[in-house]
Amino acid sequence: MEKLKTAIFYGADAVYIGGEAYGLRTRAGNFDYTDMQEGVDYAHAYGAKVYVATNMMTHEGDEAGAGDFFRTIRDIGVDAVIISDPALMTICASDAPGLEMHLSTQQSAVNYETLNFWKDFGLTRCVLGREVSMEEMNEIRAKTDVEIEAFIHGAMCISYSGRCTLSNHMANRDANRGGCSQSCRWHYGLFEMDEPGEHQSITEAGTEPFSMSAVDLSMIHHIPDLVNSGIDSLKIEGRMKSIHYVSTVSNVYRKAIDSYCADPENYILKQEWVDELWKVAQRELSTGFFYNEPTENEQLFGQRRKIPQYAFVGQVLEYDQDSQIAVIQQRNNFGVGDELEFYGPGMRHHQEQLHSLWDEQGKPIVRAPHALQIVRMKVTQPVKPNDMIRKRK
Amino acid sequence: MIELLATAESFEQAKHLIDCGVDTIYIGEEAYGLRLPYSFSREEQRAVIAYAHAHGRKVTVAVNAILHNEQIKTVPSYLTFLKENGVDRISVGDTGLIQLMKQPDYYIPFIYDAETIVTNHRQVDFWAKFGAVGAVAAREVPFEELQMMAKASLPIEVLVYGATCIHQSKRKLMRNYFNFIEKSEDVSRQRDLFLSEPKGDDTHYSIYEDCNGTHIFANNELNLLPYLGQLAAVNLTTWKLDGLYCSGESFVSIAKLFVEAREAIKAGLWSEALGAQLDRALRRFHPAKRGLDTGFFLLKPDQVK
Ligand code: SF4
Repeated sequence: MEKLKTAIFYGADAVYIGGEAYGLRTRAGNFDYTDMQEGVDYAHAYGAKVYVATNMMTHEGDEAGAGDFFRTIRDIGVDAVIISDPALMTICASDAPGLEMHLSTQQSAVNYETLNFWKDFGLTRCVLGREVSMEEMNEIRAKTDVEIEAFIHGAMCISYSGRCTLSNHMANRDANRGGCSQSCRWHYGLFEMDEPGEHQSITEAGTEPFSMSAVDLSMIHHIPDLVNSGIDSLKIEGRMKSIHYVSTVSNVYRKAIDSYCADPENYILKQEWVDELWKVAQRELSTGFFYNEPTENEQLFGQRRKIPQYAFVGQVLEYDQDSQIAVIQQRNNFGVGDELEFYGPGMRHHQEQLHSLWDEQGKPIVRAPHALQIVRMKVTQPVKPNDMIRKRK
Repeated sequence: MIELLATAESFEQAKHLIDCGVDTIYIGEEAYGLRLPYSFSREEQRAVIAYAHAHGRKVTVAVNAILHNEQIKTVPSYLTFLKENGVDRISVGDTGLIQLMKQPDYYIPFIYDAETIVTNHRQVDFWAKFGAVGAVAAREVPFEELQMMAKASLPIEVLVYGATCIHQSKRKLMRNYFNFIEKSEDVSRQRDLFLSEPKGDDTHYSIYEDCNGTHIFANNELNLLPYLGQLAAVNLTTWKLDGLYCSGESFVSIAKLFVEAREAIKAGLWSEALGAQLDRALRRFHPAKRGLDTGFFLLKPDQVK
């Protein structure tokens, strides 16, 4: 909920939520329609949309209750479901007419005829497979008239989405029902076998082990290409991410896209936007399949750079202009003497050193060590509620 | 009606498989078909179809690759070729191809085969509305659920012998790795390389690359020979034998065992003892260094989260 609000507050036009809804099986008891209602109301008040990811591949029986589920979320006002299982689509279409369906990337839609199929079936938007290049995307745009959404930032599967069951086989956890154990990121032995079945490793001891871990996607350097492609929605992957991450990434892309659209001729990518993304990056960044087929440089091998270099330390709850006192909710240990960076929507930024800190009762303190602790601090430049604070690690 | 399908790695092998009683030969070419023992030329495909038809058997051609724009443009001429040569069915894994086949000129009765994502009979019923005549169950579906999948309006194909693909990436995962460690290596299937899990030194997942990307296979080959009676009893009677990792005469010999099983079941002579006997024979033909197991077949549905 907090993440949903943050994403919207920091410039997202839509948020997709999932969590427990991802696996319909775990819905009972876990899924909270009241929360969802609150999220939808909040989003709609800001003119933003809420999509619910229901992109599991059902096994027999998983679909029980799906009709009620779709009807309920439709009535709550959810704008669309992101869906990949034709069994669920059938139920959604018949039991919750009016609820829009978006094709999930799990269906690995990578050609224009696939999009035409889903459009004919009644879907209003398709999320492309991550294997689609910019050139292919432009052609898909030209040959279809359904909305297109593409991932532009975040972590990604190294397989064709939906076509990996490493986790099922290695960890008894179903990747297509939300249980993926990220087995692709493990380190594997690589060997040949002789007739009696003896393993002969084909790499020498001490060599970097085989793994299949993709670096993250980032298209910040290519906003003009994305906007000009004519696709309808740019998607930031944000599962299991902090509000620090969500606010920063949304903020940067919002700013870059708005800057470009306002004045395409004179648009230049600002280094500070890129730097900003690196402050929350969790891995190296690349352009995925957009411009070329990913090589070893787009996989995580060898010594890994230490990222992120920043820690999220708190969020501004209130600020009083006259006294210059801000009320802060702590998120990570910080204290007097630290160099803090404040930022808010629209890429408002400033840095200052912390000189005075008080606890909730007004007692001066030197550090704020407790999770979610409420503290007061002096901030000389104005900040606003929902601004975030980070510091270099 | 039990149907026994088998992959073929050559025209010769296809002939032997037909001669020993296999009902349907499964072949294709690498550009459009996934993980085939051999990429047949058009001429060879034509020959297999002709031979099969002359013997009253069928041919299914694999057109189950994930198709990008370029392939979507070239695949219609392949469909035309297949239609002209009277192919009986094709397997399909890309929805775009189904869209193309809405045009009667291109339509060929097809088996929906998107590997990992066919897990519920309602999905199968969905594809039936768009012209599917069968569907292949994901290998990750336990028997208890397969039984329920049999309610589908179309026959459900079950792999009863052979390799299970558990990962397909468009990336060149092996080449990328070898580039990184600066080693030149063959990455094709012929090189026959394996992965082992970090916590399982004795595991051996086959891996290779081809024009469709990188493919990784389950630790052992699937073998459901002892359970054919159970499958037949619940109307799961489309059985596939995959010879990707078992070649030549050995694979034909294994096919013969399944033919024997089919005949016994048809004649009401199936027994557990016969199943066990055939199973022992199968193990003699199965490549010595490769394992066999029952995959997800015997798992309880709640053992997978
Ligand atoms: S193991 Fe990796 S590639 Fe496979 S589903 Fe999980 S995250 Fe994706």
